[in-house]
Amino acid sequence: MKTNCETVKNSLGAWLDGELGHADAEEIRRHVEGCPSCSGERRRLERVQVVLSGVLETEASRVAFEPFWDGVRRRISEERPRQARLWEWARPAFYPQRIAWAVPVAIVFLLAIFSLVQYAPGWRWGVNRGNVAAVDSIDGHGFNVAVLRESKTKTTVIWLFESQEEDDEASGEPTAKDPAF
Amino acid sequence: MMKLLESRLRRTLLFSLFLLPLSVSAPAGEKAPQGVQLSIGTILASNESDDFDAKLSKMKNQLEVIKYSSYRLVKEESQKVPWNGNALFEIPGGRTLAVMPQEYRNSRVSLKVRLQEGEKPLLDTTVRIRNRGNFLLGGPAHEEGVLILSISATVQ
Repeated sequence: MKTNCETVKNSLGAWLDGELGHADAEEIRRHVEGCPSCSGERRRLERVQVVLSGVLETEASRVAFEPFWDGVRRRISEERPRQARLWEWARPAFYPQRIAWAVPVAIVFLLAIFSLVQYAPGWRWGVNRGNVAAVDSIDGHGFNVAVLRESKTKTTVIWLFESQEEDDEASGEPTAKDPAF
Repeated sequence: MMKLLESRLRRTLLFSLFLLPLSVSAPAGEKAPQGVQLSIGTILASNESDDFDAKLSKMKNQLEVIKYSSYRLVKEESQKVPWNGNALFEIPGGRTLAVMPQEYRNSRVSLKVRLQEGEKPLLDTTVRIRNRGNFLLGGPAHEEGVLILSISATVQ
């Protein structure tokens, strides 16, 4: 953490309230000890806190807390709807700092995908699941040709067989040359 | 405290901006496929017996499309071919199978295939198959059955 006076002064309140992490707090403490300006700001804030807490304690003694605590207890004990609990559980994921981390994570993920494509050129999402071939052109040079596409096994079969006229000359029994599917 | 969060947010976004050009340039650096590994399996199908060659177990579902009772792997051959290069495979019965990989687009390999018997062409076809996929070419009579060729291509 870079500690210039402006940064430190902005974080002084959090530091005095004990809200900073150990490393940040230690850095601010060292800076404040060596910087007269920030040290003065710290004393000023501490005085404000003392005054404020004094006022609050005085005023708090006049406040009737019992109805307030009753309300709190009632809120705690009442069953919240499932949706509300779910939202409560998921809400931290939508804090800006967490969403911000999702951006580099998504980029790293995309890089991984692209690398995979680079080293395994045929790799695409799910495209290798099907094996159906596309027949662009076919010429049997006088033979009959059948193309079978079987959707269950994703198999394309090109079958070459002699014309029916020639088959008729042979016996009526199916021969090996007949298409067998 | 908010300042610290903003600072972290800013660092995260800067890191994202640093990664962004990498993600854009990565596909541009994708290597063009150098060639194709062609594999031809020659299978003899017949109704002479009920034997099923164990070496064809991976193809059993595919071969079930063709209604023969017996399947035997007669020959298996692989060749690596450059694009628009011609690979010749000897097929039993004095036949030749010539396969020429033409292009690779949309995850499909386009193959120009010619089957001939001696000098006589039997079949010319152009087929697009999935990378690592295959198709079957069958029909030529051999011994007591017919030959079925399993033609597969893997982009290198």
